[in-house]
Amino acid sequence: MTQYLQDPALWALVAGTPVAATAIIRGRKKISELRKEKLELKQHYAQLEEHYAEAVEEAKDRAEEATKNTLKAAMRTLQGLASEQQLTISKLQETYGEHRILQDLLDIDHMNSQFARRAQSIAVLCDGWLGRRRNDASLYDVVRSAKGRIRHFTRVEIRSQSNFAIVSRAVEPVALVLAELLDNATSYSAPETVIEINIRPVPKGVCIVVDDAGVGMNEEEKARAGQLLSGGNAASVSSLGNPPQFGFTVIGVLAARYGFTVSVDSTSPYGGVRAVVLLPDELLTSLHEPEEAPAVAAASTPLPPENPPGQQGAPLPGRHRATAPPPSFGDSGADAPAASETTAGGLPKRRRRGAISIVPPAAESTPTPARDSARTASAMGAFQRGTQSGRRSTQASSEGHEVP
Amino acid sequence: MTTDDEPELVHEAAELVRPYVITNGRDLVDDSAFSLLTLVTVAQEPPRTKPLDPEKQSLLELCAGGFLSIAEIAGHAGLPVGVVKILVSDLTEEGHLYVRAPIPSAQLVERQILEEVLNGLQARFG
Repeated sequence: MTQYLQDPALWALVAGTPVAATAIIRGRKKISELRKEKLELKQHYAQLEEHYAEAVEEAKDRAEEATKNTLKAAMRTLQGLASEQQLTISKLQETYGEHRILQDLLDIDHMNSQFARRAQSIAVLCDGWLGRRRNDASLYDVVRSAKGRIRHFTRVEIRSQSNFAIVSRAVEPVALVLAELLDNATSYSAPETVIEINIRPVPKGVCIVVDDAGVGMNEEEKARAGQLLSGGNAASVSSLGNPPQFGFTVIGVLAARYGFTVSVDSTSPYGGVRAVVLLPDELLTSLHEPEEAPAVAAASTPLPPENPPGQQGAPLPGRHRATAPPPSFGDSGADAPAASETTAGGLPKRRRRGAISIVPPAAESTPTPARDSARTASAMGAFQRGTQSGRRSTQASSEGHEVP
Repeated sequence: MTTDDEPELVHEAAELVRPYVITNGRDLVDDSAFSLLTLVTVAQEPPRTKPLDPEKQSLLELCAGGFLSIAEIAGHAGLPVGVVKILVSDLTEEGHLYVRAPIPSAQLVERQILEEVLNGLQARFG
């Protein structure tokens, strides 16, 4: 034992051990410090990266927002012009209804509708509005309107009518959605095939079923379409692909905004795509059938106020009338639908749209009284002239007897 | 998203269903077949078909009261005359409507005959 005590190596060992221990401990400490630092650095780096990503995202959002605003403003102008042009074309069609030029006017009308639809689609992608219609419209008319907005509309066959109507605010969105579906259907199927539309009432509302005989979609395409149609991810103008595909994105945005659903995941009986638009009850109203009586009443109500002045036959009021009518006609034309609404509640209003959808309610009621009053006035005038000339010619005894 | 703040159409909106859709894009009817004065009324025994378009239905209702000219129908229906002709032509083919040629306007009597009559009268009474 003592020999060990005398061994300097032992002492060296004794002295060395704490030193080594200290060194080791220090090393450990150093390592853990370094680790901590590394961790901090990593966090810092992650933070920086996050900030950077946020900044990029923000810049992207801002750019997207700016693009959207610009496009939205531009599209609003185009939409306005298109609808103005449509009105002008309508008037021209009325004026030149019996000329050969009508054919060209109809073609121009068709092109204008397609043009308007494009502008509407882009406006939707930019969070713009479609413009709300003033009146409810029958589902059948909305479907036909949609049909008119695509190029090859003659391939579309509407197989069923319905008594349902769509509330005014949803008329344009539903028409646009259907038009986009029909555009897809006609684009991805052979030119000679027919696109079939069926309207089916279901417990939750009404389904509009669009079947094409095209090539259909594979699972991947269906999944992508489903994602776009759900409207989950915000639409962005910059992620439409090249060439840009508007259709499903536009449909998704509108469906989410107005609360209806569109699905394209089933196969049509003809092997193509079956697209189903499910309109919930909130967007629907009904067309009523027995409305003949209110319609007649509405047509005859404008008569009384028109007739008395004519019967009075006084030249001054007559003249007065003659100058006054243009504005008053315009007014009554604009007011007539409102008048018919108020006189008999909802019934006549819906009826008009259902049965004579393309005829404005006022169009046929106002001209008739106008013609009638003119005719009455001239008849009364002729009668008066006749009696006066009769009174003057006293020689004619038989006439003289009759007149007094 | 609320939609109540959605602006109404700024301009008075045109008809929702365009005339070219109503005719389903068909060409105009030949002028020789129908004139503005062609008279139309509903057929005695209308065929049973699937429901007609609202426009065709309203044409039938318009014509139910007796003979109407194409011009009058167009005025009442608020449709271009050419479009009405297409619809009437369709409905006639399907047997819903009956079409009659316009009543020909009276022919002017020839001057020579009038002179002869005048001469005859003068010879007798003059």
